[in-house]
Amino acid sequence: MNSMYTGVDAGASATKVVIIDEAENIISYAIVPSGVNFKASFENALKNALGKLNIDIKDIVYTVSTGYGRELIDANAVFSEITCISRGIRKLYPSVRTIIDVGGQDSKAIRVDENGRVLDFVMNDKCAAGTGRFLEVMANLLGKPIGELSTLHFKSSNPVKISSTCTVFAESEVVSYISRGCKIEDVIAGLHNAIAERIFAMASRIGFEKEVAFTGGVAKNLGFVEALSKRIGLTPILPKEPQIICALGAALLAKKQFKEHLRV
Amino acid sequence: MSGEKSRSRVLQATKKIGELILEYFAKASEAKAQGKPIAWVTVFTPVELLRSLDIYPVAPEHFGAMCSARNFILEYFKEAERKGYSQNLCSYSRCGLGYALSGMTGLMPPPDILITFRNSCNVYVKWWQSLHMHLGTPLFVGEAPYVLTQEDLDNYVLDYVVKQLMRLIELAEEKFKLKFDEERLIEAVKLSDKASELWLEALKLRKYKPCPFGGRDSASDIFPLVVMQGTKEAVVFYEELLREVKEKVGKGEGVIENEKYRLLFDGIWLWYAFDMIRYFEDKGAVFVYEPYSEAWAYRLDPSKPLESIARKILSMGLNVDIDLRIERFLKNIKEFDIDGAVLFSNRSCKSWSAPQLVTAEVIGSEFNIPYLIFEADMADPRQYAEAQIKNRIDAFLEVLRER
Repeated sequence: MNSMYTGVDAGASATKVVIIDEAENIISYAIVPSGVNFKASFENALKNALGKLNIDIKDIVYTVSTGYGRELIDANAVFSEITCISRGIRKLYPSVRTIIDVGGQDSKAIRVDENGRVLDFVMNDKCAAGTGRFLEVMANLLGKPIGELSTLHFKSSNPVKISSTCTVFAESEVVSYISRGCKIEDVIAGLHNAIAERIFAMASRIGFEKEVAFTGGVAKNLGFVEALSKRIGLTPILPKEPQIICALGAALLAKKQFKEHLRV
Repeated sequence: MSGEKSRSRVLQATKKIGELILEYFAKASEAKAQGKPIAWVTVFTPVELLRSLDIYPVAPEHFGAMCSARNFILEYFKEAERKGYSQNLCSYSRCGLGYALSGMTGLMPPPDILITFRNSCNVYVKWWQSLHMHLGTPLFVGEAPYVLTQEDLDNYVLDYVVKQLMRLIELAEEKFKLKFDEERLIEAVKLSDKASELWLEALKLRKYKPCPFGGRDSASDIFPLVVMQGTKEAVVFYEELLREVKEKVGKGEGVIENEKYRLLFDGIWLWYAFDMIRYFEDKGAVFVYEPYSEAWAYRLDPSKPLESIARKILSMGLNVDIDLRIERFLKNIKEFDIDGAVLFSNRSCKSWSAPQLVTAEVIGSEFNIPYLIFEADMADPRQYAEAQIKNRIDAFLEVLRER
């Protein structure tokens, strides 16, 4: 039997599952919408991840959960996203010292040392501006699928200026730009710039020591990645699948915890 | 774990606070019925002086904290908001105004005089003036200049504040036909000083490991120092508390069995969310020092009663220069052997929250201890995002654990 370890990141908008083997290779992963039932989303994501493989659920010897729904999932241990993201990044990119993670409901900046230990972190205040939720609301308002924001961003030649940081007020700004005949791509680029500005301000408190990595679901939006890179003035490390870094970290912690339990 | 559950984390003294508060308000209503004047005061006003004049003080700020803790504050917020007061205003003021506008039928009797000193808070004066406009009650506003140095306090402003206290005495004598009696004032000052002395001694005992009492106790047990200064009941309360704390120290009994992290809490407590303190404790983290708990105690000199009351009004933590505040922080982080700091950025209290970042940065650079800043409101539960805050607490405790 091969031992497998699972990390689950029950996020505010998506549930991510990563399964790793003894050698810490990612052998499968899945991303599903979280909905209102974290437990069901987890089971669904796990089924998806397992479905791609020829392994039995019994081979999973340890599970760590993280994210907003972390306590609602039947896992062996629970860790915060800050720790999980740091572990996930250290595994893939040990040279990274600053991580900027933008998720559905939270954005975070984390400073880590050469051992991947968290030195400091900062998170958005409780408002949704500067998170994935902000972009979801705007995409919905503009009648565009969230996946199209990036393509449209790169068509923009004259981004508008969104001055309000409040999601509700920004909505009315967007409506007014569109009704004045502004191009939708310029509005979208303007929105990306606005959230980049917000995240830049938040993350500035801990600084941008190199290398800097971007993670979280919103980092899949390359238009936003461009806006944030420009604002900070650097080229970030961008994982191939930035949305699963936190779940990967959880899976790595699952393996570590399991080994520690064996030792006792 | 089973032992953990069977043992109470809260002091016996703390369990009596609820009753003490209800008694306090019952006596206020009795006083009102007997025709004695009721003063609505902001905190850090000359309560000892009022007591000697037989004016009964109640503090709407304390009332707000209590309404929040007992989960009936929303009706007063809604009343204030219906009248057009913004949700962005201080939640204590919204509660106090809402209570005043809804007929004052609860525990706090209507005021006969409104007394405030502009020492710790810029909202006080506007809030008290608004109450004055709504209710038509006589108003006394005292001015306490911001204290930059001890020399300024001694040489320039002390006398100014003493004169204002004398003006308050004259006003009370004239309005309510009372006679000021210095002997009674000295007696009240002695009792107030004793209560402060006892509380400060109890707070010092939190330096012991494990810490004999935590945030849940200190949050409640300040009450007698808020509006009961100058009473025998307050002194008796702190005598009992100190006895109990000494006993716990003697037995080596802490708040929790396995004290892993000793934390500083900066800010006013979240009155509706005491379970947050428990959440920390469940994870081995105990609050051992809070500037807020210490702020209520002030030693008075009975040989100079008015002068020492004036000093107390002037030296209130938010009325002194930031350097003095940081100095106090640093000294106590060392003395209490603190592992991390939790700073509550309070939407309602800008004067407390504004300097938190610079304070935290000094703490970080001087002691290399981690800190957490989170945002909420002290009394308005609608501004509390529990899941988000717990998320930050978990991450913070993991950072502590990794060190």
